[in-house]
Amino acid sequence: MTDQEQTTEQPIIEGIDLKKTYRLGRVDVPVLHGASIAIRPREWVAILGASGSGKSTLLHILGGLDRPDSDGGGEVRFRGKRVELDRGSTTNQYRNRSIGFVFQFYHLLPELDLLENAVLAKLIPRGWSSGFFLLIVALVGAVIGAALGALAVGVGSFDGFGLLPVEERTPIRMTILAGAGGVLGSAVLIGILQVIQVLAIRRRTRSSAIAGDALQTIDDFGLGHRVHHRPRELSGGERQRVAIARALGNNPDLLLADEPTGNLDANTGREILDLLQERHQAGLTIVMVTHDPKVAAYADRVVELEDGRIRR
Amino acid sequence: MYSALLANRYLTSRIIPLIAVAAVALCVGLVIIVVSVMTGFLDMLKSSGRTMMGDVVISYPITGIPYYEELLADLEALPETAGATPSIDTFGLLEMPYGNEDGNLIETVQVWGIDPDTFGRVSDFDEILWWKTPPAEIAAELLPDDPRLDPQRDRLEEARSLRDPRTGFPGIIFGMHVSQFNKRQPDGSYGFHGGDQYWWMPGNNVELTLVPIKGGRLSLKPESRRFTVVNEFQSGVFQIDKNRILISLGEAQDMLRLAKGVLYDQQGALDPETGLPKVVGESPARVTQILIRATDGVSPNELKVAVTAAYKKFWERSTADLERIKQPPNPMRTTILTWEQQLRDVIAPVEKERELMRILFSIVYIVCAGLVLSIFWAIVFEKTRDIGILRAVGASRPGILGIFLVYGLVIGLLGAIIGALLGWLVVSNINSIHHALGQPAPTWATITAFTIAVAMLALGIASALRGSILKWLLGVIGFLLLGSIGTGLLLHEGFLVWDPSVYYFNEIPNSTDWFTAILTMAGAVLFSVIGAAIPAARAADTDPITALRYE
Repeated sequence: MTDQEQTTEQPIIEGIDLKKTYRLGRVDVPVLHGASIAIRPREWVAILGASGSGKSTLLHILGGLDRPDSDGGGEVRFRGKRVELDRGSTTNQYRNRSIGFVFQFYHLLPELDLLENAVLAKLIPRGWSSGFFLLIVALVGAVIGAALGALAVGVGSFDGFGLLPVEERTPIRMTILAGAGGVLGSAVLIGILQVIQVLAIRRRTRSSAIAGDALQTIDDFGLGHRVHHRPRELSGGERQRVAIARALGNNPDLLLADEPTGNLDANTGREILDLLQERHQAGLTIVMVTHDPKVAAYADRVVELEDGRIRR
Repeated sequence: MYSALLANRYLTSRIIPLIAVAAVALCVGLVIIVVSVMTGFLDMLKSSGRTMMGDVVISYPITGIPYYEELLADLEALPETAGATPSIDTFGLLEMPYGNEDGNLIETVQVWGIDPDTFGRVSDFDEILWWKTPPAEIAAELLPDDPRLDPQRDRLEEARSLRDPRTGFPGIIFGMHVSQFNKRQPDGSYGFHGGDQYWWMPGNNVELTLVPIKGGRLSLKPESRRFTVVNEFQSGVFQIDKNRILISLGEAQDMLRLAKGVLYDQQGALDPETGLPKVVGESPARVTQILIRATDGVSPNELKVAVTAAYKKFWERSTADLERIKQPPNPMRTTILTWEQQLRDVIAPVEKERELMRILFSIVYIVCAGLVLSIFWAIVFEKTRDIGILRAVGASRPGILGIFLVYGLVIGLLGAIIGALLGWLVVSNINSIHHALGQPAPTWATITAFTIAVAMLALGIASALRGSILKWLLGVIGFLLLGSIGTGLLLHEGFLVWDPSVYYFNEIPNSTDWFTAILTMAGAVLFSVIGAAIPAARAADTDPITALRYE
């Protein structure tokens, strides 16, 4: 990318006058003192700084994982629009659709295999979680079941499935029975739907619609033969590749990498940086935090963070 | 969708949730077993009590209800009524055919005068009679002097007619425990083994004394008659079988002066022609109670309402007839009760015990909730970083909450289903299990237990030599546990928790109380979800950065 292109194009993400103070016990520890940064599309920016300089905090705020101070703590703009970091649903979608995160310690889910980890972002719905929604439906169903049961008892059409002798069929007992039946029925329904969902996920993770891109990425990363392995069966470098594949799962506009080679040996670290380089050359915007100038040298631009402020 | 996947993986890839499922299942199974057996006893008690009295009883003691035939016709015409029968309920003195040097023993008994023709329409008369001519295969196993084997006698027919064809005496039927010589045997049968021969009540003569009531005052002359015991009955309620005897309605009416008869003017002048008191009318026959059985699908309470209305009409019609000298008692003074109300002194304590059991065992729900809560608390702690990862890839707080709530719900549901299955299996086979406990342990079971114990010890020692402390410890624990079981089996000579010679029912009730089962299952699911809710909410509230930094 030429310098002219970079200066004329609108930033993909901006952190404007960001301030962040952590409270450790009774002591306020200021981390960011008004840091401002602008990243343009297809740019690879390295944020270089010593340990404790606030570089990871800056990255987390840019990625919507953390919030700046509430009182004059600055703002984050993505493609020119302010990111409402106080609104849960907006932040969730921002993290899911627009951003991909790569962490120093990989942070893969140990119960999922390589492919499932890679498609995790795609499995997250845009609205409320279907499981939680189902639970609410079940509880409402149970209450409605009890109410209908009580109504049926009132008009004398509910015989309690013959579970109670005629003389014991009091309205209270029948209502309790109807409610219990409602709870159990709803629970069984949820159980069945869970099984259906798990089967559907299994099928979808094998279908090209969900897994196609992820499989291609995994294959590109040299892990095509290990898609159903668990993270514990992989080396550090392989895990980080899977983490990058997960971060790219939803084709995000921006990849945020927090010390991506910090937990790897020099050779493996280079391999990971080469992978990022390939993706960057294909048009991916990357913001990378590191304390290592050699790693920072891979970036188009290096900014230094010192005492919570951007120096250059 | 990811919540279903993760809930599934958390369930299937770890042992903690399986322990939680097992704990919930045991809790649910325990409640179902205990309450089912209690409910079974209560049902047996209730059905036993009902066999003798139908569903609703109209009673007016001592002087009785006149023109009861009209009332019976009215009651029989009700659509709610399957049958009705008149009877007399009083008390008497019974001279038994046995005693001591001071003479025969005298028992105080509750006497029911029944109409043998209609009593069976209201009660399970034929079923409760004890002595019946047995089928050939059973007859072959009986002792030669068993009264059921007498080819000349049909015990069932004699009971139905309430008369002994050989002596000509009126018949009497005893409750099974009226005679002191009817000892309940370990196999649930009855008999008394005195020396070389058995003692049977049927065929013995007894003398019954009743005290008639006249005008609300005791008659001066008690009435005694001789009866032959034609059969015995077992209703299933000990209090009834210990005190009650049955005679024919006609005998009871005669002895109590409640039969139809001529009514004389005892205050006025004598009839000049006969020299006797003047005849002023006819006294109608009376009974002290009417037993009514409901048609199928009609509850005793519904029948009671219909019977109360019918009695009121009968009373209004009768009192409107000014020719009648005797009138039926005012509905306000007549007692109309369902069989359950009539037997409340017997049933209420058992019912209260069952409810107490239900309440006490409801603590199991709290155990479920506490168990799931503690397990989930540990799981959420362990999964804190996973929660951070999920939040980093865009999972919402309700989504995180949903994972753990669904997880808790599935644990509760699986536990409830397995527990219900376990409860049903144990309750259905409780008599077989009880029977097996009563036998010495089979040799193969003892040998197997010792063999596994020795094998576990050997494995433990081998593991210790290879340097594994955990496997060594598990081997030793397994050896001690199975060794104890083997020793227990070796020493076990069989014991019976439920001795039919002491308890009144021959078998432990083995019918599952599905009402309680469904309530318990729903409670287990609900409380599992509640137990999971607090850790789940904590998980949902976890700040993603804090979660990701969690070690």
